[in-house]
Amino acid sequence: MNAPGDIRILEIRTLRGPNRWTYRPVLEALVDIGELEEWPSNRLPGFNERLQAWLPSLVEHRCSYGERGGLVRRLAEGTWPAHILEHVTLELQNLAGMPGGFGKARETSRRARYKVIVRAWHEAVTRRALHAGRDLMMAAIEDRPYDVDGTLAELRRMVDRLCLGPSTACITDAADDRDIPAIRLNDGNLVQLGYGTRQRRIWTAETDRTSAIAEGISRDKDLTKQLLAAVGVPVPEGEYVRSAVEAREVAESLGYPVVVKPYDGNHGRGVFTNVLSGDEVEQAYAVAIDEGSGVLVERFVRGNEHRLLVVAGRLVAAARGDVATVCGDGRSTIEQLIERQLNSDPRRGRTEDAPLNPVRLDAAARLELARQGLDGGSVLPEGRRVLIQRNGNVAIDCTDEVHPDTAALVALASRTVGLDIAGIDLVVEDVSRPLGEQGGAVVEVNAGPGLLMHLKPAEGTPRPVGEAIVEHLFPSGDTGRIPIVGITGHRGTTAVARQVAHLLRRSGRRTGVASGDGLLVDGRRVRELDGAHWDTAHQVLLNRTIEAAVIENGPRAIAEEGLAYDRCLVGVVTSLDPAATLDDLCIDDADGLWGVLRTQIDVVLSEGASVLNADDAPVADMARLSDGQVILYGRIADSEVLAAHRANGRRAVIARGDDVLLAIGAETSMLAGLLAGRDPDAVLPAIATGWAIGFTPEALREGIESFDAAAQPRAAEPTAQTAAVH
Amino acid sequence: MDITRVRALRGPNVWSRHTAIEAVVTCDEDERDLDRLPGVERALTRLLPDLPPLRSAPGGPASLAVALARTAFELQRRAGCDVVFHGERPTRTPGVSRIVVEYTHEAVGQLALELAAGLLQALRAGEDGDALAAIGRLRELDEDVRLGPSTGAIVSAAVARGIPYRRLTDGSLVQFGWGMHQRRIQAAEIDDTSAIAESIAQDKELTKTLLDAIGVPVPAGRSVTDVEDAWQVMRSLGAPAVVKPRDGSQGRGVTVNVETREGLEAAWAAATAISDDVIVERCIPGDDWRLLVVHHRLVAAARREPPMVISDGERTVRQLVDEVNRDPRRGDGHATPLTRIRLDPIALARLASQGLDADSVPEPGRRVVLRNNANLSTGGTATDVTDEVHPEVAARAVEAARMVGLDICGVDMVCRSIARPLEAQGGAVVEVNAAPGLRMHLAPSYGKPRPLGEAIVDRLYPAGEDGRIPVVAVTGTNGKTTTVRLIAHLIAQTGLTVGVTDTNGVTVGSVRTDSGDCSGPKSARNVLMHPDVEAAVFETARGGILREGLGFDRCRVGVVTNIGEGDHLGLNHVETAEEVAEVKSVVVQNVAPDGMAVLNGEDPLCVAMAERCPGAVTVFGFDETHPVLAGHRAAGRRVVFRRGGQIVAAQREREVRIALDQVPLTRGGAIAFQVANTMAAVAAAWAIGLDWDGVRRGLRSFASDAATVPGRFNLFAYRGATVIADYGHNPDAIRALVQAVGTLPGARRSVVISGAGDRRDEDLRAQTRILGDAFDDVILYQDAAQRGRADGEVVGLLREGLAGARRTTRIDEVRGEFAAIDLALGRLTPGDLCLVLVDQVRDALDHLVQRVARAHDAAGSDAADRGTG
Repeated sequence: MNAPGDIRILEIRTLRGPNRWTYRPVLEALVDIGELEEWPSNRLPGFNERLQAWLPSLVEHRCSYGERGGLVRRLAEGTWPAHILEHVTLELQNLAGMPGGFGKARETSRRARYKVIVRAWHEAVTRRALHAGRDLMMAAIEDRPYDVDGTLAELRRMVDRLCLGPSTACITDAADDRDIPAIRLNDGNLVQLGYGTRQRRIWTAETDRTSAIAEGISRDKDLTKQLLAAVGVPVPEGEYVRSAVEAREVAESLGYPVVVKPYDGNHGRGVFTNVLSGDEVEQAYAVAIDEGSGVLVERFVRGNEHRLLVVAGRLVAAARGDVATVCGDGRSTIEQLIERQLNSDPRRGRTEDAPLNPVRLDAAARLELARQGLDGGSVLPEGRRVLIQRNGNVAIDCTDEVHPDTAALVALASRTVGLDIAGIDLVVEDVSRPLGEQGGAVVEVNAGPGLLMHLKPAEGTPRPVGEAIVEHLFPSGDTGRIPIVGITGHRGTTAVARQVAHLLRRSGRRTGVASGDGLLVDGRRVRELDGAHWDTAHQVLLNRTIEAAVIENGPRAIAEEGLAYDRCLVGVVTSLDPAATLDDLCIDDADGLWGVLRTQIDVVLSEGASVLNADDAPVADMARLSDGQVILYGRIADSEVLAAHRANGRRAVIARGDDVLLAIGAETSMLAGLLAGRDPDAVLPAIATGWAIGFTPEALREGIESFDAAAQPRAAEPTAQTAAVH
Repeated sequence: MDITRVRALRGPNVWSRHTAIEAVVTCDEDERDLDRLPGVERALTRLLPDLPPLRSAPGGPASLAVALARTAFELQRRAGCDVVFHGERPTRTPGVSRIVVEYTHEAVGQLALELAAGLLQALRAGEDGDALAAIGRLRELDEDVRLGPSTGAIVSAAVARGIPYRRLTDGSLVQFGWGMHQRRIQAAEIDDTSAIAESIAQDKELTKTLLDAIGVPVPAGRSVTDVEDAWQVMRSLGAPAVVKPRDGSQGRGVTVNVETREGLEAAWAAATAISDDVIVERCIPGDDWRLLVVHHRLVAAARREPPMVISDGERTVRQLVDEVNRDPRRGDGHATPLTRIRLDPIALARLASQGLDADSVPEPGRRVVLRNNANLSTGGTATDVTDEVHPEVAARAVEAARMVGLDICGVDMVCRSIARPLEAQGGAVVEVNAAPGLRMHLAPSYGKPRPLGEAIVDRLYPAGEDGRIPVVAVTGTNGKTTTVRLIAHLIAQTGLTVGVTDTNGVTVGSVRTDSGDCSGPKSARNVLMHPDVEAAVFETARGGILREGLGFDRCRVGVVTNIGEGDHLGLNHVETAEEVAEVKSVVVQNVAPDGMAVLNGEDPLCVAMAERCPGAVTVFGFDETHPVLAGHRAAGRRVVFRRGGQIVAAQREREVRIALDQVPLTRGGAIAFQVANTMAAVAAAWAIGLDWDGVRRGLRSFASDAATVPGRFNLFAYRGATVIADYGHNPDAIRALVQAVGTLPGARRSVVISGAGDRRDEDLRAQTRILGDAFDDVILYQDAAQRGRADGEVVGLLREGLAGARRTTRIDEVRGEFAAIDLALGRLTPGDLCLVLVDQVRDALDHLVQRVARAHDAAGSDAADRGTG
């Protein structure tokens, strides 16, 4: 059929924080659907069928009707391409392995132009998903083929490459559940949890408390063993060897079976367990020497491999190794059996999040077979079971089985090495019995252990390891937050920021300011450019020395970038100017502006407060959005708004002549003469903010009175030569 | 000359507090007096000029063994080792003596002894020896194994504060403190240096982003993908550029002042040789400065200059470099303040970039730079500028360290003057280093050294803390294990996790971490390594003291229960009780100056140790009027004694009393040796400062049974008879047991005994001589290990002791401990008493416990039968 039109993505904006649509980062696309404006989905022949054939999981979208199949019903009834694009983009992200999330499609005041807003877990991935969604839709509209699988494969690759790895993600998710903010610091897995001086850092399963020395010790297997043996943790005795002959000698002095393994290898490569003879020792040596900088020969500890995860001195998860065997059918070779009986298991895959790896006939497995007089081409008689791999992925949860003495021993092992988070490799036949009686031993202590085996065990219950790590970093009740004061409005916001920053600094807090004055760190102006933007605010939150933050957000900055913080203690809105529309952003009336400015109030914490201008009706109306308290301020002492607010027993800061009244319901106290010669538009909201934070009236008076020219930011030193090129 | 039994004494020992190599040296007739080998001494003096005289008294004889000790010592000293002690002592065997030579590192000490022996053998054979070569080898080994300058400075500062330390590897990993107070360092890295922060510091680009975010000036620039991209960045900077690998160290692959496309190509090649990821930045004009931040404070700063020479217009670059390298402060490694300049390919390339080669003669006055970076390890120099740093510059350094997350941090800056804010002069922080080298501050080429070791130690241990936990060392002939267990129990009452070593194993809190005889230094060291241990009690047997010295440098409390007639005489050249006392007094000599020795006031050999105790002394005894106890108390010192049914702890007029009927261990005071052990433990608890109510509670709750104190007066009820198992095996112990058993009822008394083959004949006879007057039946058995005795020889000696026994009427000889026990038990009738002197403690006790349990069950079922019948 003839294409009735095209979907054009005119521009894509990244809103990196809370915004007028939602609390989370989103992409906001301006989309022109042209002539398709006349073609809702029910009028496009075959479109719905093709779309649902390509993306059958769209049936899960509960849109419009709040139930499964909701979207499908809308498609049948007829809905417009922008709305469908929103859902297709979200579904592509979903199928690529990202969690689902928020989406919205909104008409603009121009015909055929829509805003499509979709949750952006990662900007580049979502951008790609949006474009792919558009292409997919056009193919469905125009009845052309579309490579859905290829697109998904590409998106999945992007997710693997660009998004946080599963270990890190489980920690940030747990932090999110605890309402602790997270900021990614690099393209890898380095994440800041919390803000300013209260922040902590993680990098996969390492924390900023993970000691570099301890990590070094854990890499030195010999030293680790010595230290563990000294404190009574059982370890396999053994020696470092420098030649195949020496390996044989040591093996003979220890007694067979032994283990031969690389000194500092990784991921089990070149590790030979249960080596039974001198010849085998020499063979194993030859392989192991290529995997590390030397070879260890140790007493073989009989049993299965286990991984025990210790966080802050407590065992939080344990997993057991997967022992792979095949069973003969009288016809197939071992290689065929491996493919059929083992690798066909959907849990076995090569990607990072597959719980089990495919079984390969590697050197260790071949040695194991050779010992039984077999090789990969051998045909096994029916019913004969053969061990292929002794220690495959450690992925079978056994947390509840661990004997308490063993839990105490592995905790001691992590303390002895000095790690706050450690993955302890333990070999033992039965983890539910004490180690001593079965000769079990700790064979390795790992820093930065992978968490996947505990999050997605191949068998058994997933364990809340992310929660345990977050609890370790942020004991209950600590959300890693510093007091943040966010200020927006169309007038006087920079002046308010100055006053508030002054109050905070006087109270002894090292305060960061991002405002029209630039970036200020504890009174030192380090950047002069207009700082009322996401970037500058973000820099304040990154600063590990900052104890309190004052962040001014211009209305345009909120609309274009979102807020830099997820929540704040105090949100201030000074005024709304209906004339200050942002037409280029399709925000062209007072309602639109209100929708932008309210973002500041939406993010106020329940223990915080909103500070609103009572004299500006739309602003005062935002009071109903506040999760926290509301403190109104105004110069019209007898206004209806203030009266109603106070009638409910709430707080207000009111100008009366040169005096400032602090009112709680009907009760008032007075800061006499405080407004003389001062700007009430800056002083009143600053007092309200200080009051919200908990300053006494005396401290407020002193803070306002001491604010003078000297308290203004120092002139910046020339910085042109040192500004980074971005 | 024959050298045997070479040992490393790794802790305080019978010779001194120093670590030392000990050896037994056998000299032949001639070697016993150097006067008979005049050539040797002369040759030695020639090889080692200024060698002090070998004879302690002029004219007295000196043996080759003395020369060996002196030579091994002198070789080390001349190799630069800080040693002060060596010695020689004859044994009773003519021509055999023990020598000892201090070492600072075990391997160096071992080699010194070996080299000295080789040298003397050569001289003895009339050959030439090469002392300089020996000293050279020692120096080389010492430089290899000694701590590097950074680690060394921290360790010295810790030692000065009395903090114990221990090297964990041959490298720079060192542990300070004991038990739960342990801390670790590795060069200038401490145990709470974050691995994440180190990774951030390694990533220059990320570091720059983070520093830029908080307003610390950094050079403009970015990571580039290829030469073309680099060129773009270079042009946008509009100034000379620096090209460097993203992950690199020590200035490898860094090119500065790149101005041209050709220069960029070369710089690109140099950088990509180190890392695929390359950064191009604006070249910041000025000098290189290193600011060292420790825990939010600037503690040192230095200006660093690359290796260079200034031309005199006459000599070649090579000659100028040689001249500079003649400076004695320049060495090849890290041990000297400066390192020699090398004319290696990097230096030659740098010369080439200045249009020079090694044989050019530059115009007079020209500064010829030989490397781009100012690292000391490649020949650079450092000048201390700590006092000149502008406070704003210091503030930036501290902020940079905090932002990256490093508590000890070297911040590299480039600017013209360190005395002006960076922002005012376009200066910048160019790098942040974890584990910064301290040498440039400890021993700057110019200017004032800075005490960084102290600053870092202060960071690890706040003033007043020394990383120690209370350590009680217990030694003596009898009662050690019971006393150890009792003291540990008393301390554990206060809630502390106590580490205990004794002849049965190691326990930490309630967990057994090792088993077997753990009364040596290795077990003590293991306990001090345990991260949970808050106090330690060590049984300190003489074997370990002789073999290796103590496992700790000093203890809070040293207890000597008694020496008596001694034990194990004749082993290891220890022949008399006095010599036993000499060995055991090592514990007392190494009591901390603010610590306490607890000595048996009624044992003269114990009392004699008091004068060598650096700390205070408490004496204990049964008789408060004993001259030693009375005198000690009169002098205002602490005494613990028995008065009637009480133990009294007294100092001046103050007395604290503990009723013996509240101390089950002593059976209401009936068992004298347990009263003695209790008095020793009470004195130790007092020394640590435990509160008296807790001590009373602990004494009341202490159970002395086969599980807690195996083989120490364990009582069993067996078919209405009393059976006591004890490990007593010397005349003193047996006398004490006879006393104790005498307080218990028992119609017919029997004893089961064997003797260890390594005891002296007279000691074996003495044991049964005592028993013969107190027991009706004696069952002799031959024990598992005859230790060199002929079959039946030991039993024969025991039988000899029984000749003329006043009470014994029946003697049996049995083969095997279990059989002997079974025989004794089989004969018991209700009301009898049997003392079993166990040998294989664990096995014998297990056997006894089983027999007793079976008898008990049988009795139970008999009763049940009667009940139903």
